[in-house]
Amino acid sequence: MDSQYENQRPRVTPRGRTAVLQAKLVLLVMINLAQLWILSATIEASLARHFSELPPLIVASGICWFIGITILLWWKPTKSKRETIGR
Amino acid sequence: MNSKKLDSAIEKVLKEERKSDERNVRKAVAPQQRDFPYERDGEAQVTRREFCNFLAITSTGLFLSAGAFATKAIYDASNAESLPATMIENSIDLKKGEALNFRYPTEADPAILVHTKDGGFHAYGQKCTHLACPVYFEKKNERLECPCHEGGFDVRTGNVLYGPPPRPLDKIQIEVRENGEVWAIGMTAGGQDHG
Repeated sequence: MDSQYENQRPRVTPRGRTAVLQAKLVLLVMINLAQLWILSATIEASLARHFSELPPLIVASGICWFIGITILLWWKPTKSKRETIGR
Repeated sequence: MNSKKLDSAIEKVLKEERKSDERNVRKAVAPQQRDFPYERDGEAQVTRREFCNFLAITSTGLFLSAGAFATKAIYDASNAESLPATMIENSIDLKKGEALNFRYPTEADPAILVHTKDGGFHAYGQKCTHLACPVYFEKKNERLECPCHEGGFDVRTGNVLYGPPPRPLDKIQIEVRENGEVWAIGMTAGGQDHG
């Protein structure tokens, strides 16, 4: 009986999928850090009345946001269907 | 018989287990947990997926904040009214090499007027451009210095000489009238001339 249920252990996320999720997480963290830096530069430019610097900073922040959303919503592992190890 | 019951019970548990995934780990209170309640430490943890969602929300917030700051700065600049001319009290008595604190353009904005040794008058907003500590006039070196993080500004231009301040002090335009009174007549943001 033991051997029968040995293969029915709780489902584990496959290693490849874990790597993809981890990569997504790391990329999102890096994008957030870049956006923090852009926000501080935007505030600094605003306070100094350097208006010509503002549009590129906003665009850069928007690009970062778009990449982040793309990674989160559309960047999936090639095989998204979950499987149980040993089945 | 007992073995069959056990098999079906285990199968039931595994069936419930298969239903749950990372998305509903907090809701994964399967029937067996009602029968055998126990503390699930994992439920208190944030899953990777939840953290990714949090990062995406943060990213949206940062983007919107940058846009809001820029919009507000441009809006304020386009709606800026000319500041009123205000006489700086006691400025007639200000000796060379000394400084005087006053408030401009509103009572909430501290400012400093410096009468340099060469006879010139220079006025600046007193808030350091690093973290808004009040700067003071250092007579010995004729510099405006910030005591908080040791930033230094040129007294004649307001430019940063050393330390962490990222931009010059806000400059107040002044006018010395015939009777010796010094009037504040306007203000420009630090670094605006260079932008």
